[in-house]
Amino acid sequence: MSRKELSDSVLIIMKNLNLVIILYIAAIIAYSLQGYVQEGASLEFLSSINRIPMTAWKLPVMMICLYGSILLLMYINHINGAVLLVKVCMEIAISLFISYILGFSYTGLILLILADTIRHFLKSKWQYAFAVLVCCFYLMIDFELFSLYLDIVPLETYLQYFQSDVRLILLGIRNILSSLNTFGFLIYMILLMSMQTKEQQRILTLNEELNAANIELQRVTVQLEEYARESEKIAQTRERNRLAREIHDTLGHALTGIITGIEACVVLMDEAPEATKMQLTAIAEVARQGVKDVRRSVSALRPDALEKFDLEDALLRTVTEMRSATNVQIDYECSAKLDNFSEDEEDIIYRIVQESITNSIRHGKAEHIWIRIGREYNLLKIYIRDNGTGCKDVKKGFGLHHMEERLNMLNGSLFYDGTEGFIIEAQIPIRWGKGGDSDD
Amino acid sequence: MMDTIRRNKNIAAGALCACLLIAAGLVYGDAGKVFPAARTKVITIGVFSDSYWEVQNGYSYHILEDAIAAFEQKYPDARVEYTSGIMKADYSEWLSEQILSGKTPDLFFVLPEDFNTLVDVGVLKNLSSFIERDASFDEEQFYLAAYQCGQFEGQQYSLPYECAPKLMFMNKSILYREGIEIPAEDWTWEDFYDICRQVTKDTDGNGLADQFGVVGYTWQDAFDSNGIELFSQDGTSCNFTGSNVEAAIAFTADLDSLNSTVIPTTRDFDLGNVAFQPMSFSEHRAYKAYPLSVKKYSGFEWGCIPMPAGPDGDNRSTLDTLLIAMNGETKNSAYAWEFLKLLVCDTRIQSEIFEYSEGVSPLREVTESDETLERLIEDAGDSSTLNQSILGAAVENAVVAPRFRNYDDALAEVDRAVNDIVNGDTKIGTGMLMWDRTINRKLKNRT
Repeated sequence: MSRKELSDSVLIIMKNLNLVIILYIAAIIAYSLQGYVQEGASLEFLSSINRIPMTAWKLPVMMICLYGSILLLMYINHINGAVLLVKVCMEIAISLFISYILGFSYTGLILLILADTIRHFLKSKWQYAFAVLVCCFYLMIDFELFSLYLDIVPLETYLQYFQSDVRLILLGIRNILSSLNTFGFLIYMILLMSMQTKEQQRILTLNEELNAANIELQRVTVQLEEYARESEKIAQTRERNRLAREIHDTLGHALTGIITGIEACVVLMDEAPEATKMQLTAIAEVARQGVKDVRRSVSALRPDALEKFDLEDALLRTVTEMRSATNVQIDYECSAKLDNFSEDEEDIIYRIVQESITNSIRHGKAEHIWIRIGREYNLLKIYIRDNGTGCKDVKKGFGLHHMEERLNMLNGSLFYDGTEGFIIEAQIPIRWGKGGDSDD
Repeated sequence: MMDTIRRNKNIAAGALCACLLIAAGLVYGDAGKVFPAARTKVITIGVFSDSYWEVQNGYSYHILEDAIAAFEQKYPDARVEYTSGIMKADYSEWLSEQILSGKTPDLFFVLPEDFNTLVDVGVLKNLSSFIERDASFDEEQFYLAAYQCGQFEGQQYSLPYECAPKLMFMNKSILYREGIEIPAEDWTWEDFYDICRQVTKDTDGNGLADQFGVVGYTWQDAFDSNGIELFSQDGTSCNFTGSNVEAAIAFTADLDSLNSTVIPTTRDFDLGNVAFQPMSFSEHRAYKAYPLSVKKYSGFEWGCIPMPAGPDGDNRSTLDTLLIAMNGETKNSAYAWEFLKLLVCDTRIQSEIFEYSEGVSPLREVTESDETLERLIEDAGDSSTLNQSILGAAVENAVVAPRFRNYDDALAEVDRAVNDIVNGDTKIGTGMLMWDRTINRKLKNRT
């Protein structure tokens, strides 16, 4: 049972207890009144009092009506401000009236009202003012004090009707019940106070947690800022590299072709001027293409062939161009479908093929180049071999290095071997679905 | 949504609460008073069956019935009811029971000894406002002392119905025999003492006195006739040290000392052996009205005069007054007031007192009328026994005791004091000083 439920049940017990006490005292008074009348002692009783008591039957009825109205007033909830004040004042007034009718022999009702009302004032700044006010009331309600100004018949006068031992028992029961009420009030207040402390503690803990979270957040923010700066730097580097690659891929490729073509022209020029002419035209085409590539690179930094054609066409076109521009025999074979790659994948495939051809012609002085593209499970394999000089000690030039870099970005891998001609094998994981033919 | 439900709940609780409070108010304020029955107005009156003057005269409800008949004729929509058969001895208890049971009659007779308690408890309606409003009510028509008997702290709580002054009865035969002149109406203690001293003697020579001066003369009679205002009006203090008090106590002691050997009783007066006895006027009338009583007094000639005056006082005595009061919680105060007025102010009803009761009407006009004189002479058989002016003067000049609660207790205390001083060895002055402190302390503690 939570403290709240506990305090609520204490309040309910107090309400019942007060009803019992009030009816108990009313019953004593009514019974003794009846007794005085029946035993012919009315005159004696009348001369010992200074106001006419309420007729016997009226007393319990009045008590039930008045106490019932107090309970109903307590039932009114969720109000505040002036309405609450009016409500509390009414409760106090009725309880004073009840005490007055009972000859101020019981004043514990005020405690019940205090207990019930303090809930409303718990979170208000008037809490203490209210409690002090009601406590003053409680202390002030005293028979001796009031009997100075009001005509009151004390309970003792009624009790005179009973024999002394009965009188003591009756008074004793009254006192026990009254003490129980006070006790209940104490428990209620303690529960309420502990509830309040608990609530405050909870708020305190929450605050601490919030503070810690705040500090952590600040730390993370700083870190994030650092990350952002770093990644900006990385992006810069990456872009710079990319630019370098582009320049190398486009301009380098074209120039290599041109140089090779021109060298061929130099040899041919005297023996076959016609062929040289044709060769030169082809070279010019390569140069033009190179210029275009540079322009495109500058504007979009994207392989132009890919701009206009799909990957297969672009590769075929490059191979054809290189064949015609350099007189190198290039065997090209593609068994896989290449139309489902993303742009960056297409870029890399294209660049790898382009770069490898360039390398074979420029560094390996190869005359025959074999290019095979195929699919093995979910890997796209690009296999390029030439019959050039190869390279025993492969220094990762710009080209290879970039190729590797780019492949790594796609989780792919690159193998090369320069012992007998030059062999390059690139593997790119296929990320798109199961479409496309496998090339086992 | 929740708010509406809450609000509706609150309104329902508030409305129920208001209903309960109204119910409580109706119970507290007596619903019948708030919503009086529209038709017949029933006025109840508390009355005892035998005469206030302790005499069975067979006319117990005669005057009341006449008054009721007159009232019901004047107000056909009103009815007056009373419970018959309650004896005077039980009346106070019966009235208390009615009050405690919430069945207090609208009007009721008040015995003088109950008046203070009833006022203090708050049963009696303050009639001052009725008196002020009602132009037909003239307080001057009452003898002042009788009228004041119904007052408490300056407010009129009841009206006198009938009264009886205390007068000094004298056995004229003894006075004639001893050659003593019949005392004048303004006689003094000195005259009184002289006569008593002269008549006290042993006539048959057996050594014991058998003719006495006075029987039943108390210190209170001496105090009343010596201008002593023993208690303050609110009953908180007692003036027991004045020289007039000392004189009164000394006088009482002197009278007592005359009967040093044999103390006479009222029986001695009936037998014609005592010269004086203070007696209520009603007593003398009662005695005269019966053949038995006539026989009782047949052996001597008698007459009555006012009480003797002390050196500081007047020929005054107390007035015994039967009062009628209204219930403070009455539902029919207007009709009750009319009926009350009929009982105490109507000359026809009041004149019946001389016919069917033994008291004196507190109305001047009735008591001093020729008709009353004729009736008194008819009763007495001799105009010389009672002078009508003596009766009027006695009522007019009567002493009105202060009204406060526990008056009887205070009086008993003074009685103890006087007896102690008279019978004790200490000097009167010393005893008075001692008792003054005691009585005053008790009075203060009591209030």
